[in-house]
Amino acid sequence: MEQMGNTVEIEHLTVSFRSKRRTSLFRGNPRVKALDDVSLAIRERETFGLTGETGSGKSTLAKVLVGLYRPTSGTVKLLGREIDFQNKRDVAYLRQNVGIVLQDPVRSLNPRLTVKEIISEALVASKSVPKSKYNERINFITHLVGVTNDLLTRTPRELSGGQRQRVSLARALVVPKKLLVLDEPTSALDVSIQAQVLNTLKRLKSELDMSYLFITHDVNVIKYVSHRLGVLFYGRLVETGDVHDVASDPKHPYTKKLISNVLTLNQTQLQSEAISEHKPAPTGCRYRLVCESAFDRCAEVPPAVDLGSGRLVSCFLYDGVSPRVGARGA
Amino acid sequence: MVSTATDGAGRASSQAAIPDGQGDLLSIDDLSVDFVSVDGRVRVLDGVSLNVSKGEVVGIVGESGSGKTTLGLGVLGLLDSPPTEIVSGRVVFEGRDLLKLGQEEMAKIRGTGITMVFQEPLDSLNPVYRIQSQIQESIEVKWKRGHSGVSQPSELESKEVMLSLLKDLCIDKPDEVLEQYPHELSGGMRQRVAISMSIIEKPRLLIVDEPTTGLDAYVQNRILGMLSDLRKAGGTLLYITHDLTVASQVCDRLYIMYAGRIMEVGKTRNVLEDSLHPYTHTLIASVPQGYEDSPELPVQLGEPPNLAMLPSGCKFNPRCPYVKEVCRQKEPQLAEVRPGRYAACWKVDGADGEYSRD
Repeated sequence: MEQMGNTVEIEHLTVSFRSKRRTSLFRGNPRVKALDDVSLAIRERETFGLTGETGSGKSTLAKVLVGLYRPTSGTVKLLGREIDFQNKRDVAYLRQNVGIVLQDPVRSLNPRLTVKEIISEALVASKSVPKSKYNERINFITHLVGVTNDLLTRTPRELSGGQRQRVSLARALVVPKKLLVLDEPTSALDVSIQAQVLNTLKRLKSELDMSYLFITHDVNVIKYVSHRLGVLFYGRLVETGDVHDVASDPKHPYTKKLISNVLTLNQTQLQSEAISEHKPAPTGCRYRLVCESAFDRCAEVPPAVDLGSGRLVSCFLYDGVSPRVGARGA
Repeated sequence: MVSTATDGAGRASSQAAIPDGQGDLLSIDDLSVDFVSVDGRVRVLDGVSLNVSKGEVVGIVGESGSGKTTLGLGVLGLLDSPPTEIVSGRVVFEGRDLLKLGQEEMAKIRGTGITMVFQEPLDSLNPVYRIQSQIQESIEVKWKRGHSGVSQPSELESKEVMLSLLKDLCIDKPDEVLEQYPHELSGGMRQRVAISMSIIEKPRLLIVDEPTTGLDAYVQNRILGMLSDLRKAGGTLLYITHDLTVASQVCDRLYIMYAGRIMEVGKTRNVLEDSLHPYTHTLIASVPQGYEDSPELPVQLGEPPNLAMLPSGCKFNPRCPYVKEVCRQKEPQLAEVRPGRYAACWKVDGADGEYSRD
């Protein structure tokens, strides 16, 4: 494989669902776009952080990458191979190479199996590891993620939240993967346990030759784990770039607001300014209804403007045509 | 209107550590609570002492299983028995021991005396009533408790009150919100409605239990801002959270809890900048800081405490990096280690030299 290639390339990915609310007798229910024209690439050995608030489509993206949702349009390429989501063999290939860890470790582990059974189930299902290697592989991975041997005979309900999440990690990784998707893996954990899991991830990153997609709404966590960062707002990727750049100098008005609201241990000045609901705009830039710098062009869909060094911002403020500071309704 | 209870008798005069403040509003003294089940008895609160003065924001910080919510419910008299059993202690609110009050008297304290906002606002809102009629209920309670001679506020007056309150809570279109049902609102909006129902009764003590958990950063900060406005207006808050960063934003003093015990008490600034208890170190170290190339977070391995199988000695000892023999044998008590600083730890306890002798 070439140097620093891309593990995953997602281009113009749109996923839409039928809304439950019927608006017309004659037409079908309207479609809701959970992801709208999202393009991103995850490089080899890279951790890509994806953040955004509830309902921004973070988990939808995770589920597409393991073949649980089919794209409505757009392409997903894994190691250069385009995935046809209608084709069972392609979906199997996807799952063979992409592991996933979900937020709720209780609901994602079978309560009737022991930890060892849960982990080896993945091996049996994948068929890519010879049977004679099962134990070796289980030992290797449980040691790596910190599942001690005495846990192997227990069932999930006998484990703490942190231990369950380690078991989820072991199950996802027992078959060697190219990409690990972590969907809010620490949000259900206590802070001190979250710190332990983050440390484990850090160790995994140096040991395993893999890419990671880390999804969380917690900006402190995402800064700590990722190389690059993407920010979603109601299904659209509004900004991507190197995590240092985005965190220290956010460009998109939404990213600015997100970063400025990150709390640290030091007391900051809290303001109780008028809060507006984040109603996304139905057309054009989704953020324009709440954006302070919105102007008339925002009624169109903003293109992803390339600011150099991998920095993409979907905002008319940066496309060089419009005035830098636009007044609303001017 | 603030009506103070008349009898000053029964004020806690305990020798137990009652740090800072005089606790002139609420003082909990050596409270122990058990959960009793067929599998036996589990102690969820063990000798907890805490006090809150008027106009103060006191934070209770601890992770799951530390007993922080039980403490809040205990103050409100909402612990059902069975399964809970109050083993010892007093909860003195404005001079009266709440644990000795009957249900009826307690009900009169809830609402205008002490109110609690729960973590999940959907649990405290009725799904089949519009927001307006739910807030209306609070207004009526407030009126009934109050003041003979004042006629019941008309529907129009009540609505005025609601609108101005919701506006204060930074709700954009309060008139629309009043017409909606709880499920139509977003999480942050629901939480603000729940808070509005609590503060419309002007409680003398407001207990908030993880009010921002599960909300995104922007909404969280607005709610925190709103709570600190409340404090500026003279309100008293008991803020329960697992998140030290959140607590650091609003609280004057912090109580750090672990396994049903208070581990450290102090002014927020002091606790954060110069924490005494190793568990507080862990909490602070657990907040991810810096970027991808930063070193691992300096935390020890270990599991959250299992209350049914606590170790002997200090309950934090299996996870403590400074553990010594004395920590496994004797449980340290909360003691004033430095002026105004309290911790339950042999390592920082100056009075007992056993740790250093070991």
